[in-house]
Amino acid sequence: MEFKLEAHRIVSISLGKIYNSRVQRGGIKLHKNLLVSLVLRSARQVYLSDPCPGLYLAGPAGSPAVPPPQPGEPAAGPPAGWGEPPPPAAGAAWPEIEPQPERPADPATPRAGDAEPGAPMTGAGETVRGGEVEAAEAAWRRVEGPREAAEGGAGGPAGGSDGFPEGLREARRHCGCPPGAADRPGPLGACPRVDCCCAPRPAEDEPPAPPAVGPRKRGAAGVGGGPAPGSSPLKKPRRNSEEQSGGAAEEEEEEEMETGNVANLISIFGSSFSGLLRKSPGGGREEGEGEESGPEAAEPGQICCDKPVLRDINPWSTAIVAF
Amino acid sequence: MSDSSVSLADIISTVEFNYSGDLLATGDKGGRVVIFQREQENKSRPHSRGEYNVYSTFQSHEPEFDYLKSLEIEEKINKIRWLPQQNAAHFLLSTNDKTIKLWKISERDKRAEGYNLKDEDGRLRDPFRITALRVPKLKPMDLMVEASPRRIFANAHTYHINSISVNSDHETYLSADDLRINLWHLEITDRSFNIVDIKPVNMEELTEVITAAEFHPHQCNVFVYSSSKGTVRLCDMRSSALCDRHSKFFEEPEDPSSRSFFSEIISSISDVKFSHSGRYMMTRDYLSVKVWDLNMESRPVETHQVHEYLRSKLCSLYENDCIFDKFECCWSGSDSAIMTGSYNNFFRMFDRNTRRDVTLEASRENSKPRASLKPRKVCTGGKRKKDEISVDSLDFNKKILHTAWHPAENIIAVAATNNLYIFQDKVN
Repeated sequence: MEFKLEAHRIVSISLGKIYNSRVQRGGIKLHKNLLVSLVLRSARQVYLSDPCPGLYLAGPAGSPAVPPPQPGEPAAGPPAGWGEPPPPAAGAAWPEIEPQPERPADPATPRAGDAEPGAPMTGAGETVRGGEVEAAEAAWRRVEGPREAAEGGAGGPAGGSDGFPEGLREARRHCGCPPGAADRPGPLGACPRVDCCCAPRPAEDEPPAPPAVGPRKRGAAGVGGGPAPGSSPLKKPRRNSEEQSGGAAEEEEEEEMETGNVANLISIFGSSFSGLLRKSPGGGREEGEGEESGPEAAEPGQICCDKPVLRDINPWSTAIVAF
Repeated sequence: MSDSSVSLADIISTVEFNYSGDLLATGDKGGRVVIFQREQENKSRPHSRGEYNVYSTFQSHEPEFDYLKSLEIEEKINKIRWLPQQNAAHFLLSTNDKTIKLWKISERDKRAEGYNLKDEDGRLRDPFRITALRVPKLKPMDLMVEASPRRIFANAHTYHINSISVNSDHETYLSADDLRINLWHLEITDRSFNIVDIKPVNMEELTEVITAAEFHPHQCNVFVYSSSKGTVRLCDMRSSALCDRHSKFFEEPEDPSSRSFFSEIISSISDVKFSHSGRYMMTRDYLSVKVWDLNMESRPVETHQVHEYLRSKLCSLYENDCIFDKFECCWSGSDSAIMTGSYNNFFRMFDRNTRRDVTLEASRENSKPRASLKPRKVCTGGKRKKDEISVDSLDFNKKILHTAWHPAENIIAVAATNNLYIFQDKVN
């Protein structure tokens, strides 16, 4: 649980750094943002792999447990050695980290020339984005999972939340089951309550709903509201005194922090994020198409950062993109 | 001087001795270069031997705005490298994020007087009034040091330039940015030759960047570049035109037990320097300095901990951005010692022969002229002894990123934010 907290905090800090880098003098520093994205990735992996009892156990092969590792993703292995070794369940849940090619981006990569090819880039971008949407949904569902597990009688969404955003309440059925639960096999899929209203659920309620609806509503509710990142320290002392496998209240607080944080981040990002995504990489692609001369000049300086960094911060990025 | 009153533009961003050690150049965030010159030995002022005084100051780079990309280009001087002296004038290369300039620094201590066509104050004389011709004579004048830009090497880097290095052939030099290294001829400004390119076709696959590069001190075909992944590649320009394939690859396997969120950041190499002998090279990462034998790629021959007590504070250092600080390192003239900076205006020296190390502080309160520097110690836990400083009271705003060692003598230059300290061995 401590790993999750720490990881969550680091994710927030990292996103803040990436955001601030946009306004720094001299343009976006590629090196620093690359390092921040690596930290973000590690923190995200820890956050997602930190086991809550029973729920992260590997589902069937088809379950979108983990986004397909992108080529070149560093083998930030299982969080061993970060203090106490995580329980074995985490290892089981975490699919093999493929031994990544040592330096994939590096020497052997055929150089297609410096001019940014407009069309292929777009294609690759779209494909990746598609995969990430899936991953994002998986992440959102998984994130809701712990609440469900510990749920039993904990009082559902209304319980003990200061500023618990509207959106999340709506996204979760009042029985507390995660959206789309019925469609997913395995322990994650089963609604913990027998009398759950969500048992027969039409398929169309599925994927678009959680990431699209949730964040958007969360954004609306969260602007100026929601538990600020500052609320984490307040919750920490209480958390430490509770048992690890503890009550739903604990899980819920955690979820509140996370969503509240996301709400704040989305409100920050929302207004300018689409600009961030479109301006350089998108803009760069469009400009790059058909531009033959001066490959150096054709590459917008900002392209050097936005794309790899933003791709790395899914599921946050995809949620925000949806927003 | 309190931190709030330090003008950002005055922060020193690079320090470099020239080949003889008589000149010391500093660059700052405001784009200025200040050159200090060592006083000549003078019997009437015996104590002034070894003092460095300001020799020349000039504005090297100005802030620019790239309108096409809506990017501001900082004027901060990232690196200065001297050229070997070939005549009375001195030449140096200075670079900001995008443009490298070759500056000529020359002295003028004579002035011609007695022109025919103009008066002493410069007014043109009426030609009809001139009845006799005279030969202008050179008269001594107060020494004037002029700096003039002789070459401007621009528009060759898309990313931020982090290094420049003059080749031992004295005709070429390299410049490195995050993803590419270019080779220049000092006489030619409108073209450069790309010798390393690690930019992936798909930027989403980017995993590492170039952090520093340097030419070998004697072999003009050999250079090295370090990466953000903690590796160093040695390349030979004879093997192929594009040196994407390395000849040697230096990497120390990571210790899995020390893995953390920040392992990648602290393994990123911030500086790489060849020894004067050319047989070794030194790398600086966030917590340590490593000396490598060029003949052994598997691991360094020496590892020196600079401030290991920071390992448990990495999260805070990440929050306040200190973990991204790029410390430099340097060799002594004989390669027997190495030096690098730390926080709280501390800097560290390691003697490779005796295996002893010392921590010293560069601050006005603690150093009077001609007084010896007192070794400092950081208390890492438990009872703090007298004179020790606890880790929590270190001032992380006072960082020493740039240091330089005289090529022949034991004189060191240490840049502490906006102040330059010059220390030397006691001469009896």
